[in-house]
Formats: sequence, structure tokens, C-alpha cells
Amino acid sequence: MLQALIDGILLGGVYGVIATGLSLVFGVLGVVNFAHAEFLMLGMYVAWFAWRWLGLDPLLGSVLSFVIVFAVGYVVQRTLIERVLKAPPAAQVFLTVGLLIAIENAALMVFGSEFRSVSVPYQVQGYRLGDIFIGAPYLYAFAAAVILAAALWLFLERSWTGRAIRAVAQDAMAATLVGVDTKRTYGLAFGLGVALTAFGGAVILPYITVSPTVGGQFVVLMFTVVVLGGLGSVAGALAGGIMVGVVQSMSTLIFPIQLQNLCLFVIFIAVLALRPQGLIKGA
Amino acid sequence: MRTLFTPSRAALLIFFVAAALLPFFVDPRGHLLRVAAMVLLFAAMAQSWNIVGGLANQISLGHAGFFGLGAYTSTLLFLKLGISPWIGMFAGAVVAGGAAVLLSIPTFRLKGHYFALATLAFAEVLRVIANSWADFTGGPVGLSIPFMGSQPAYFAFRAVSSYYWVILGLLAAVCLAFHLLASGALGYRLRAVRENENAAEVAGVNTFRVKLIASVISAALTAICGTVFAQFTFFFDPDSIFSLAGLSVRMAMIAIVGGLGTLGGPILGALFLIPLEETANAFLSSKAAGLSQFVFGVILIAAILIQPRGLMAWWPKPRRRRAEASRPAVAAPAAKGA
Repeated sequence: MLQALIDGILLGGVYGVIATGLSLVFGVLGVVNFAHAEFLMLGMYVAWFAWRWLGLDPLLGSVLSFVIVFAVGYVVQRTLIERVLKAPPAAQVFLTVGLLIAIENAALMVFGSEFRSVSVPYQVQGYRLGDIFIGAPYLYAFAAAVILAAALWLFLERSWTGRAIRAVAQDAMAATLVGVDTKRTYGLAFGLGVALTAFGGAVILPYITVSPTVGGQFVVLMFTVVVLGGLGSVAGALAGGIMVGVVQSMSTLIFPIQLQNLCLFVIFIAVLALRPQGLIKGA
Repeated sequence: MRTLFTPSRAALLIFFVAAALLPFFVDPRGHLLRVAAMVLLFAAMAQSWNIVGGLANQISLGHAGFFGLGAYTSTLLFLKLGISPWIGMFAGAVVAGGAAVLLSIPTFRLKGHYFALATLAFAEVLRVIANSWADFTGGPVGLSIPFMGSQPAYFAFRAVSSYYWVILGLLAAVCLAFHLLASGALGYRLRAVRENENAAEVAGVNTFRVKLIASVISAALTAICGTVFAQFTFFFDPDSIFSLAGLSVRMAMIAIVGGLGTLGGPILGALFLIPLEETANAFLSSKAAGLSQFVFGVILIAAILIQPRGLMAWWPKPRRRRAEASRPAVAAPAAKGA
């Protein structure tokens, strides 16, 4: 029981960072990015190639994932998303769904359909505290996620760009009036959002294999986290991530493994129905 | 409004007559006729989606759920109880209609993105159930319909052309349903809900009931398409029948590329997209896995960016007026229709 709780928290912290990116994009741009999980996949591939070619540990390669996917995201936003920002939701939904299909299949063409995994020395190691066993890759991924979350918080609170992003999220018109380049800020926010998710993808590489369809496993999970925490709320997404992680690992105690996701879906629909603004208000 | 339908009615009539005669001019067992049947089936699915997605502007990303319910219900009834798929087809429609009611209870207040997310999760739930409840659904392996030669009473034919005509009849029925809904009082109310839900509510439209009726009809028709699909292809599995990109998105995309909320849109969209995809598959799938799907994604993006109102927006004037008339015409009739 306690074991499941700890496993859940370790998993959930990473889910939190992954979903924070999605939440940030919605909070600032007002667009629900259905293609978001595909950027997670891209981040995982960057880290995999960094490990293969440069011998970089995925925990370090995640920085590379962050940078490269940030650039990709910035370009995608400025060339595509930008044009539907004021369009009705249908256009936004289907543009990002189109992006999802395009990215997934581009990956299939470029990387092939095989599953790829890394091997790192700490993969099967762990720490034992009494009856509790903590897997090293889970612990390190969680630590990396916490560090990144703290860095994100500092960035949004303290830096000029971070303040600009928050300003645009609150009131784009007013932000323009006080001299914020809104278009650039939208691009940066989208890039940052997908980069956070890519980073999350990279740090879980030691315990999850990557394939072009890996995004599909995370779509509903990501949205569940974000909806639990309240769409657009960054702190909420972190808390939502931990909740989802705990629910997921607890539910394996009761249900067979293939029904693990079913619990998530049911929670997801229930939360949407009862509290679409999220369980955690404010933040 | 009603008189404006005349020019497109003529075009539709020509389309249906031409479509009905097609099997006499091509090889009745050939590949071309199969593709044509798929065009008609996808047009029917997109039209069913259009009832909720176009008229009420509730973007569903979960219609594969209803489609799969239709396929599973009729096939399981047939395999386990020997009930003819013709009856199973309506049983599937009832099941899907019931599912639509259940789904409406938690989602009816949701709009835009939230509704899309909830419906997406709905189809995923069904996919997970179909995959894991193997004793009943056959699990990930899927279900096959045994080949029985020609048995019209059991919805089994030898010739592709027989399926083709059944599908054409289905498309005609779905189009008729859409037309009756769109031009009737319910259609006005749906459009009122689409334009401004609060205003419609204030004007006396029971928005929940209106949306519920539309989604039940849409779900039931989609389920019928699912049964027909299962009979036509003889085989399906959970991942393909509840597929997000393959079905839920494709139905919506055909309607959007053709023209959201218009009668001709889904037909035009299917006529344009399905052959394009077939060609892309034929020429590109040998080059690289995923290329044709990649093209599919790119087309969707391009369609949204170039003409979000769909092919119907480029149609010659009379029909174009109709496509546009559906918008401004809403405010006044909405008040009356209430």
C-alpha cells in the first residue's frame, strides 16, 4: 500500500511536468493542443539519439530534448497555431488533431516502427527503506521533474519573459499596450509548453520504451492530469499529475493491469462532468 | 429557406442516380466498386456526425464509439444467438442511442474543447473494454463474420454491388434524416443552440433536450453504419473500430472538408478525401510506412488553414447562398421556433 503510494508519487511527479506543458499552452494561448503528446514522443527520440550517438544519459539528454523541441514548437506555433488562435474551437481542435496524425506518421517514416530503449547502469538498481523499494530510474526522473518544475516557477515569476507570458495569459490586449510582443510571447509559451513535455518524455526513457505511437498512451493521461488540476493552471497540473500517478499505481492493487487506464478514463469523464474548472482552484 | 434547397436538390438527385447506376458500368466484383462503396459509407458516417457536429456544433471526437457499438452489437448477436444482422443493425442503433443518452448526462453542459475531450475519452473507454473483456468481445483479436455465400436474409452477399446498393440506400436515408432535421423545427433550435446557447435557453428552447435528441439520432445512425461496415469487411478489431484517427477524426474531417453543417458537405468531402486516400495508399504505402497517413494529417491541416468552411464554400452561387444562409437566418427563426 505504502509502496504503491510512493510509486504513484514518483510516477505522478513526471506526469505533472508532462502535463504542465499542456496546461501552459492552454492557459496562455487558449488552445487545447491535441498534438501535445507527440512532442513527448519527439523529446523521447531526441534523448534516445543523444544516448546512442553521444553517449548521453537520458537525464542529461533531456536538456537537449528541451532545447530542440522548444525550437520545433516555436516554429509550429508561428507557422500554424498562430493562424487559428482566433478561429472557432472546431478549427483549433482539428488543426492540432491533424498535427498529431502528421507528426506521429512522420516519426513512423523517419524512425521506423520498432520500439527503442536505452540501457543505463542504474536501470535495475534501487534503494531499500525497510519494506519499501524505490527504483532508481523512477527516483531520478522524479528528481529531474521537480528541478524543472522549480526552474519553471522561477522563470515565470522572476524573468521578464516569464512575466510577459503571464501577462499575455491574463489579458493579451493589455499586455500589447504595455509593450509586450504578444505574437512572439505566444510562440515562446507554446515552445516552452512542448519543451517541458519533451523533457518529461526524456527523463522517463530509462523505464519506458519509445515508438512512434507512444504519444497515444499519454494523450488521455495528460488530459486527465490537466483537467484534474484545472485547464490552464500550472501548479494544478503538478498536483493533478501526482494524483493521477497515485490513482494509477493504487488501481493496480485492485484491478488487472489492462484496466488501469479505464480507471483514469472514468475519473476523467467524471471530473469533466462535475468540475470542469478542475479540482484545485486558483494557482 | 426551403426554396433555396432546390438547386442543390437537383445536384443531389443527379449524384444519387449516377451513384445507383455505377455498378452497371464498372466491374461488379472489382476494387473500384469497393472504393466507391467506402466513399458512400464514409459519406453516411460523416453525415451522421454532421447532425451533432454541424448542426449543434458539438465537436465529437468519439463517434467511433457509436460506430463500434453498432458493429459489435450486430456481430455478437449473430455469432452468439444467430440473429440476423438486419435485426442486429437496429439493436445496435438502440444500444448506441442508449449510450448517447448516458454520455449526454455528464457532458451536456460541456462546450468546445471540453466536449471533444470527453467524447474522445468515451470512445477510448469502449476500446479498452473491448480489448480486455476477451470472453465476450473476442478481445484484441477482433471478430470475424464467417463467409456464408449469398444469404440476403442474413446480410451476406456474393457480389460487391449488393453491398454497394445497401450502402447507397443507407446514405440516402441518413441524408434524408439530416435534411428533415435541419429544415425542421429541431434544426432551427439546434442552430439557435449553436449560435448562442444562453439566448436559446432564454427564448424557451430546452437546450438539453434538443442536443440529446440530436445526439441520439446521430449515434443511432452511426451505429447502423458500423453494422454495415462489419458486414461489408467481414472483420474488425477493437483498435480499428474504435480508432480515433481512423474513424472519429475521419468522420469529422470529411464533414469539415466538405462543409460543416451542410447537406452536401459530407458527400463532397467523402468524394474528395476517400479516393485521395486510396490513391495515396496505393502509391505511397510501398514507399514508406506512415507516408499516406502523414499526407492525411497534412491535408487536414491544410484544409483548416485554407478554407475552414469547407468545399461547399466554393460552390457556385445559389448553393453558396444556402451555405451562408444557415448562419444569419438563425436569429429570427430561433425566436419563432421556440
